[in-house]
Amino acid sequence: MSPENALLTPADREMLEHTMLVRDRLEEQYHDLEQQSHAAAAGMWVFLATEVMFFGTLFVSLGIYRFLYGEACEAASEKLNWAIGGINTIVLLISSFTMALAVHYARLERRKALTTCLLLTGLFGLCFMGLKAYEYYTDYVENLIPGWRFVSQEWVDQEGLSPDQVPHVKLFLLFYWIMTAFHALHVTIGLCAVAIIAVLARQGRFTRSYYAPVDVLGLYWHFVDLVWIFLLPMLYLLGTHSADSLHL
Amino acid sequence: MSERILSVPTYASVLVALLILTVATVGVSFIPLAGHWHIAAGLGIAVVKGGLVVLFFMHALHSPKLTWAIIAVALFWLSILAALTLCDYFTRGMVPGMPGH
Repeated sequence: MSPENALLTPADREMLEHTMLVRDRLEEQYHDLEQQSHAAAAGMWVFLATEVMFFGTLFVSLGIYRFLYGEACEAASEKLNWAIGGINTIVLLISSFTMALAVHYARLERRKALTTCLLLTGLFGLCFMGLKAYEYYTDYVENLIPGWRFVSQEWVDQEGLSPDQVPHVKLFLLFYWIMTAFHALHVTIGLCAVAIIAVLARQGRFTRSYYAPVDVLGLYWHFVDLVWIFLLPMLYLLGTHSADSLHL
Repeated sequence: MSERILSVPTYASVLVALLILTVATVGVSFIPLAGHWHIAAGLGIAVVKGGLVVLFFMHALHSPKLTWAIIAVALFWLSILAALTLCDYFTRGMVPGMPGH
């Protein structure tokens, strides 16, 4: 604190800090910080609308193939590791909860709680990626990678599918790989953003009237969670499971 | 970005509801259901879960009208995407002489 500031009353000091914040953070095209925050959130919502279209095409196509080639899709779905898929759903939901708390504490200007919540979110995100990597490994071991590790005869001998249905199994598995890989890419981008925002939060860059980056990151993270919520039933839960289908 | 602040217990109860629904959705997959009922049940629960995430975690409930407009537009575009694609696939083979499934 400079000697001049020491003479100020607390109310004056708060006003001075706010003026400096506005000078540092407010872009010239906005009237005030609140309008700027609203614009930032609206921008993220528009981006998420385009993301809905991106994942929407994949979901609609998968739904149609599921309808046309039901038997093959169900057989392939039962081979996927639903236990890891389910646990990952829980992990991602908890990370969304901690992210919601991060935005909550940013709004209340509680810097330590904000940083902790962001770190927890990152930790759960990493946990998700770790489990996903392990799941991909089990898929590799169980020959579920069309074009690389895939034995057509296994599906005819063990699953009782006709040779004509094997291409449909491959199609479903391709959707599984493309959709989960794109989702994992989104989680990875989210993790990088969480790390950056956590560092900034620790430096005390966010205040009661300026926390739009945390808010916008929260929207993105929740959307990635939302996509996974739909991926779980569409990929893992198409067929009927039994307790012995647990293949960890 | 909303003016109203939700409380931590509210977020916690939303999380508990989401976790219960996740267990339910996996649980349903153990019930031997015919044909498309698994996907119908799974997607039904997913829509409820998605609604909870959007309304509470993403604060749509207390967001400005602009946010609601963007959500509505996103769903509208998605419905065009789905409806026109389905129109194509489910009318294939109905026209004599046209290739289809």
